[in-house]
Amino acid sequence: MENPISEDELIATCGKVGKILLTSGAETSRVESTVEYIGKAAHFDISCHATITALFVGTNQQSRTHLVKVRLGDFNLEKVDEINTMSRKFVEGKINFDELKIAIDQIDHKVIDFTWPQKIFGAGVVSVAPMLLFKATWADLGLAFFVGIFGYLAAQLAGRRIKTPYVAAGCGGFIVGLLAAALQTVGIATSAGNIIVSALMPLVPGVAITNSFREIVDRNTISGVVRAVDAIIIAGSIGAGVVLGTSLCSLLAHMIGGF
Amino acid sequence: MRVLIEFVISFLSTVGFGLITNVPRRSLLPAGITGSLAWVAYYLVLQVDPGLILPNFTAAIVIGILGNISAVLFRVPVNIIYVPSLVSLVPGGILYLGMRSFTLGREAPTSQYLFNTLTIAISLAVGFVVAEVIFYRIKPILMKIVTQRRSPSHS
Repeated sequence: MENPISEDELIATCGKVGKILLTSGAETSRVESTVEYIGKAAHFDISCHATITALFVGTNQQSRTHLVKVRLGDFNLEKVDEINTMSRKFVEGKINFDELKIAIDQIDHKVIDFTWPQKIFGAGVVSVAPMLLFKATWADLGLAFFVGIFGYLAAQLAGRRIKTPYVAAGCGGFIVGLLAAALQTVGIATSAGNIIVSALMPLVPGVAITNSFREIVDRNTISGVVRAVDAIIIAGSIGAGVVLGTSLCSLLAHMIGGF
Repeated sequence: MRVLIEFVISFLSTVGFGLITNVPRRSLLPAGITGSLAWVAYYLVLQVDPGLILPNFTAAIVIGILGNISAVLFRVPVNIIYVPSLVSLVPGGILYLGMRSFTLGREAPTSQYLFNTLTIAISLAVGFVVAEVIFYRIKPILMKIVTQRRSPSHS
């Protein structure tokens, strides 16, 4: 039987699909099933094994395996959606393999993003946590809106400059802790603790830890554990950042008060 | 009145997190509604049972069912609805508090907070599993309605 798609090309494309999906924050089971669907639509018996740090793609007829290394990334759900749309179109036969390959290359290089003002607004709104409604004062929640924006911006900018992992989250925590403690010392805010918890909402890895438990329940134990440990260490570096920020602020207040 | 305020704030929270995590524009509205309904469910159950497990479990079931339905209606992967609508329920703040007391060397609050984190995360995850089981029962009916609606508009 003649097949117009060469095996190597298919495996390379599938590897790329898997890599984009994993770094954009899709679940491992979804990655595996998407790659296998594409393989089935191209009349190849492809098997794919995905963990959060590596991805293996191979066909069952021969012994070669394609290995793709993956790094944990931020959420970029729009890429997940675009890949999903493309693979669905390919499976339904609306586009052929070459078109799929071009589309995936485009998605890989394209920077799909909301604009900065939109993201800043988003970070601010997330910083008003429903958890603290009627527990914190309204003024504190209003302040958390702005503190959260600064924390988010600090984390994003630090993440761009510094490549050491976990430093970005620590910087965000530091700024949030510093600002909240300063607001309390000056007397504008009632409770620094409430502001900090609320304003950390965009930074804190809560969704990551819930997803990790969903993976564990789904029997993707390795990915789940990797995600959980990663989330705990991010939370730890945020915590350390906040502690540094608040103690720096109290130190400064002490020195100014001493003079 | 209070429920309305909770609804609006959690809606904004969900949409905001959607902006940060870059969801496709067409799923912002369904994700926001899913997230805020789940939060209202959480709030209402919390009035009856002031624990950690039952409110989070109920909210996860609401997200799971509504998320799957809107995934079919708007043709997006389910995770894209799940991630933003989880943001107000998720144990991020508690995890932070736990790691902060760990940094400060306080043993009792650390274990308390981490235990709560674990409880919430597991009850959310189990809620999703239950919701998916329920959804597979509804799915054939939903697909029938969807195909009936779509076919006249195409032909």
